[in-house]
Amino acid sequence: MIEVVISALVLASMYGLIAIGISLTWASIGMLNLAQGFIFTAGGYTAWLYAQYAEGWGLEGVGLSAGVLIFGMLGSALAGLFVGAIAFLPLQDRDNFRTRSLIATLAISLIGTQIWLILFGPQNKPLPPVFGEGRIEIGPAGMSYQQLGTIIVASVMLALVILWMRSSRRGLQMRAMMMDPLGAAVVGVSVRSTGMRVLAISGALTGLSSVLLAQVFFVSPTSGVQPLTTGLIISLAGGLGSIPGTVAAAGLIGLAEALTARYLQQSLVPFVLFAIVVLILIFRPRGLGGLLEDVRE
Amino acid sequence: MSETPRLVGRRAWRPHWPVNSTRVFKRRRWPGTKRSMLKLSGRYNPKTLRREMVLTDKKPLFWSVGLLALLLLPLGIASERFFTMFGIICIYAAINVMWTLIIGTAGLQSFATLATVGVGAYGAGYLSVTYAIPWPLMLLVGAVLGGLMGWIISLPARRLDGLYYALLTLGLSEFMRNFVTQSDELGGKFNGALFGVGRIIPSDLLTTRLGQSLLYLTAFIALLIALAVYRWVNGGRTGILLRAAATSKEDEAFASALGIDFNKERTRVFIIASAMLGFLGAFYATYIGGTSLQLFSLELLLLLLAMIVIGGLGRAEGAVVGTVIVVGITQWFTDWGPWRIVLVGVLALASVLFTRNGLFGLKAQIEEIRDRRKALYRAGITSRYAEFLPQQAPEIHDKSAIVGRVFERSLRDRLRSWISPELIAEHEAKPLGQHSDRLERMLNYFRKAPIPDKYVVYCEVPFESYRVVALSGLPGVPPRIVDDKKYASLDEAYHAVFLRRVNDLRAH
Repeated sequence: MIEVVISALVLASMYGLIAIGISLTWASIGMLNLAQGFIFTAGGYTAWLYAQYAEGWGLEGVGLSAGVLIFGMLGSALAGLFVGAIAFLPLQDRDNFRTRSLIATLAISLIGTQIWLILFGPQNKPLPPVFGEGRIEIGPAGMSYQQLGTIIVASVMLALVILWMRSSRRGLQMRAMMMDPLGAAVVGVSVRSTGMRVLAISGALTGLSSVLLAQVFFVSPTSGVQPLTTGLIISLAGGLGSIPGTVAAAGLIGLAEALTARYLQQSLVPFVLFAIVVLILIFRPRGLGGLLEDVRE
Repeated sequence: MSETPRLVGRRAWRPHWPVNSTRVFKRRRWPGTKRSMLKLSGRYNPKTLRREMVLTDKKPLFWSVGLLALLLLPLGIASERFFTMFGIICIYAAINVMWTLIIGTAGLQSFATLATVGVGAYGAGYLSVTYAIPWPLMLLVGAVLGGLMGWIISLPARRLDGLYYALLTLGLSEFMRNFVTQSDELGGKFNGALFGVGRIIPSDLLTTRLGQSLLYLTAFIALLIALAVYRWVNGGRTGILLRAAATSKEDEAFASALGIDFNKERTRVFIIASAMLGFLGAFYATYIGGTSLQLFSLELLLLLLAMIVIGGLGRAEGAVVGTVIVVGITQWFTDWGPWRIVLVGVLALASVLFTRNGLFGLKAQIEEIRDRRKALYRAGITSRYAEFLPQQAPEIHDKSAIVGRVFERSLRDRLRSWISPELIAEHEAKPLGQHSDRLERMLNYFRKAPIPDKYVVYCEVPFESYRVVALSGLPGVPPRIVDDKKYASLDEAYHAVFLRRVNDLRAH
């Protein structure tokens, strides 16, 4: 049972980061960033490139691990800015922005997959284990360093982002945009620069989850699809724009996935997730958090 | 014509010939309905004055030419490459047309298209492989499964709106892929591929040219069926009702005020389209003799979306033409490798960034840009349109009215420059009779002024008292008296009228 909870927590922290990225982007600039899969892979490949060079330089241990994490986030943040430059800045003040930016991000993810294929080939790229190998035994159950590390790093990162959004001037601007974009613009918040900042931050979160997920899976051109869809489902269930709702939904979905995989069948996981989300949405059409009841309409 | 006029009461009765210049031909209609075959309008050509018929709606023409080309091109060339390419074009175009029905007519932003197609394909394929059911039954099973799937995924659409629903359905394909990979019956062992699905054309015929042509024909018929369904739903009562609601920006309250159960109609269209998608999935399985996991890949979904976006969202012709373009690129330049997908992506991106609604929205967009430029240009040359605002000028049908006003204005300008004390003195000296050329021209201009508010002389007492009055221009409405001056002689009164008119000319 404890193992299920641990595995649920790991899944929740990995997918939750992506979901929060999607959620933040939607709430502040009204863009559904479906290029999140592309951003995800960008982080993975940047981290992999760094790891290749670092091995050449003879880096090991903490230097290598921290570098992989940081470069993964950096690569994804840059990819987020790139997506913003293409799908957000030119379309931002045009009519039908939401549908058009949605299609634009989808087109970017279509192109991105092929670009990765051209640059890195179809092979899976492994990342070095960031948290070392080994297990820690707590009472009756144990967890691997990787699981522990994933949970801790994800929670710390999330806490930092929330803290920054609560306490800093920039965070205040972002929250103002989430509450009312027009009002924020009226009081002098730059929609464009704040939007790009949001994209960079959600990119960084996605990059972190990319590195964490690459500990289990590999980096490949299409490795962003599965996390993207799960992230979408979670952000939808959590209520787009609500961080507490998204965290709760991530926990719920992670638990459901872990439970289904353990006691039912792995192949049923998608259906269970889908059913849960549909149920949540039927009772709360704006998700668990549901704070954007009328703001975005 | 030969009928002689007879008297009816006090007026001569003449036969009345209906004058309807637009009825220059007999309109043919579909038997049993009031629908015309082609939307023709008759007119007399304003230049040659000949009777002519104008095809108001040229779409049927383009459709038939395009579909004929789609049918004859591969049959004529008859190379395997063309058969493959055009077969794929037909099937994807059919899928895209149904997707257009969902997005455009039903107004549901659903990405569950390929998932539905896959359900039809895998369901029918599985039954065919396991129980060897014949192909008509396969198609039926596909349609039923698709409709069922459509009903299930339309349930959340009642509560969710727009992009939330798009998000929910985007993940569906990925889920289906996982499910297929992990279930052994559906070919999980062979990486999700089912082999040996029953085919419409017997497989020993498939190696011949005739078999290939027949196979292609089946794909073409599938496209025709999809287009017919699109026409039936979109042009039928349901489609018209839904589009009536869509004009008010998805205002469902407005729709219900019109008496439309928006959700119900929407769900119905969605289920019909989904059943058709399942049918197409089953057809796809029989067409290639199997199924593959490629149906559920995000990449294929995005390619389909690119086709729709490049062609123009919400239009059947856009869906078909976009499919031809994208499949043409991906199937023709196979040696480009991944770059061709990049090209498609760049095209899709460009059409989102630079056009309002893809290829078929381009015409309206260009026309609007042109009109705006025109208006700006006209605003720069105000003098050309005299009395009219320059923006108004394009809306005036009778261009000679504009020319007339321009002439009037230049005439007034010239006459105004002639006004001088000498001229006035000349008129005062001799209001009637021979005048100088300039005065004569000026008086001519004054004489042809329109009747309303025209100054005339009113005789109160002959040879004693005259006044200046202004005509009302309306029958039965008396002239108004412009001032209380009285003139003893007619010549004085003439001159007073002249002075008033000169004053008005100056002020104009």
